[in-house]
Amino acid sequence: MKKMLAWVLVAATMFAVYGCTAGQKTSQPSAEAPAKTISGATAAPAADIPVVKEDKDITIAVVPKALDNAIFLDAKNAAEEKGKELGIKIEWVGPTKSDAAEQVSVVEGLIERKVDGILISCNDADALKDVIDRAVDSGIYVGIFDSDSPNSKRAFYAGTDNYAIGKLAAEKVKELIPDGGKVAILTGVLGAPNLEERIRGFKETVKGSNIEVLPVQTGEDDVQKSVEIVSQYTAANPDLAAWFFDGGWPYFADPDALPEVKKFMKNGGHIVSIDTCEPMMQFVGMGMVDLLIGQNYPAMGSIGVETLYKLIKGDKSVDLGDATHYIDTGYELADINNWKEVLATKTPW
Amino acid sequence: MELNGKSISNKTSILNRVKNSSSLGDIIIILVMCTLLTVAVGNKFLSIDNLISVCRQFSFYAIMAIGMCCVIITGGIDLSVGSVFAFSGVVTCMAMTDWKLSVFSSVLIGCISGLAFGFLNGLFITKLELPPFIATLGTMSIARGLSYGITGGYPIGSLPDSFKFIGLGYIANIPTPIVLMIVLAMVFSFFLRKTIAGRWVYAVGGNEEAARISGIKVDAIKILVYSLCGLMAAIAGIATAARLGVGQSTAGQGYELDAIAAVIIGGASVSGGVGNVIGPILGAAIMGILRNGLVLMSVSAYWQQAVIGVVIILAVSFDKLRNKKK
Repeated sequence: MKKMLAWVLVAATMFAVYGCTAGQKTSQPSAEAPAKTISGATAAPAADIPVVKEDKDITIAVVPKALDNAIFLDAKNAAEEKGKELGIKIEWVGPTKSDAAEQVSVVEGLIERKVDGILISCNDADALKDVIDRAVDSGIYVGIFDSDSPNSKRAFYAGTDNYAIGKLAAEKVKELIPDGGKVAILTGVLGAPNLEERIRGFKETVKGSNIEVLPVQTGEDDVQKSVEIVSQYTAANPDLAAWFFDGGWPYFADPDALPEVKKFMKNGGHIVSIDTCEPMMQFVGMGMVDLLIGQNYPAMGSIGVETLYKLIKGDKSVDLGDATHYIDTGYELADINNWKEVLATKTPW
Repeated sequence: MELNGKSISNKTSILNRVKNSSSLGDIIIILVMCTLLTVAVGNKFLSIDNLISVCRQFSFYAIMAIGMCCVIITGGIDLSVGSVFAFSGVVTCMAMTDWKLSVFSSVLIGCISGLAFGFLNGLFITKLELPPFIATLGTMSIARGLSYGITGGYPIGSLPDSFKFIGLGYIANIPTPIVLMIVLAMVFSFFLRKTIAGRWVYAVGGNEEAARISGIKVDAIKILVYSLCGLMAAIAGIATAARLGVGQSTAGQGYELDAIAAVIIGGASVSGGVGNVIGPILGAAIMGILRNGLVLMSVSAYWQQAVIGVVIILAVSFDKLRNKKK
């Protein structure tokens, strides 16, 4: 029985490995020795890289903060679309959950395999810095999207100015509650640089106004925990004037799961939230959120891959953004006046 | 006179049972927490809406913890419950939306998927003699991976109202998940206290070798408890999907630790042989009330984790000291 079970396990593992690799035509890095190097470009990795590489031999790995976060799927689709257009290979790899250490291991694996480029959203700016520097030193071009590691040797950061969208949210809240009042903040993983920047932008903008910002609450990137916290906190604070969600977690649930939010908005409360994913749009139509501020994930995926491609090809026309190599992918706004138009641009989940 | 004597003796016996109950420590902790919270935030905590919200919140963890309790009584551990929770949730939602099955069939498929994972855990532990930690660590990864694989990372929504009733509905003014928790607790309590298999669960955890020598089918009992644990994780996962109106491959991350913590706070011993169904429910209640209290008191999220850790250590230490004294 034991032997049989062991054989069944071995056979199942081999079958699973075959099944997973059969459909994925991922090339290992070319064994050819690098010919010449690009010099002069600020973003160029230190090690030798081939100047001219066939498009079909180029592999760019796109590494989200976590594979389980559906918010990155628009970036994935756009990156794959751009990869097809350029005739290069795109790999979607990452940690199973938002964990900096696991993400470091993923990048280490990519360095071992010598992929040509890595486009990554960092779980932690400092924790990822060393491994990004090692990747660059070993000849891999690294671009960052969504969440930056500004002190690393990355070639560029394509994303939203998180401080700016926090500031924008605060300005909207100030406009919604001109007489001021208490405002609560819901965040996800504590310490994530993009979320902390949004909070900083929000807090600094309302400073000196008649708005009192209550201590930050976290749903730990978990929809259920976010729903429970928002429900309990809203019910327990009848004098709450507004919420700022620095990510859209509660709106990934069904509207029926948020009766307290419905009641809160009906009683004159206000909510401004970051993210404009497809399932969130219905909440705008139902009057359960005043304004959604969305990052442009498709642009991050598309621009990120294209910029890395140009760097790999040694294209001198590559645009790395401003002096800090920041490429602003902008943001979009959705409110009761335009939510249907914004919804029409979204891929259904 | 004789009747009065009997009645007094019964009362004394009930009082003694309460006094000697392993759950008394948890009940005292809950009462102290409730009193402190009432003083700190007043009616906010004691409002019916808040109390129902807290009970509904911890009922999902408690359901999972009841299954975990049976495993821990046998001296084992199951790290896969969080992933099975997610897998069963998404399988149930997919069955309804993609395969167009009825709510009943979908829920049944979801439950079977959890049961199957638990059964596999049991087989790996008994037939391949893998340590429970390793076997369930493996299935934790398999279940999570399958959840991502079949959904592609996308949540599954647009679920029928009859399904959402499991998580959002009320039976006699009590939220359905709480009713579900109570019913399951009664069933498991009966199983552990009144059936032969239930007593064997304790025997296996108390001394596995002695249980084997005395003719107890140790392997069968282990497979049974892991299967039940998988089933309970599945029920909790399905109820949560119904509560949120969406099935997600991301659900239940780290919930295995919450379930284990609830069981240990509830007085079970990790070395096996000790524990009951009320314990994990009280353990989950302590954690639920604590989280709710921190939210109501507007404690900053940056400090909440540390406070939760301190309270867990205090709660278990208090219980241990009380039992030692006893």
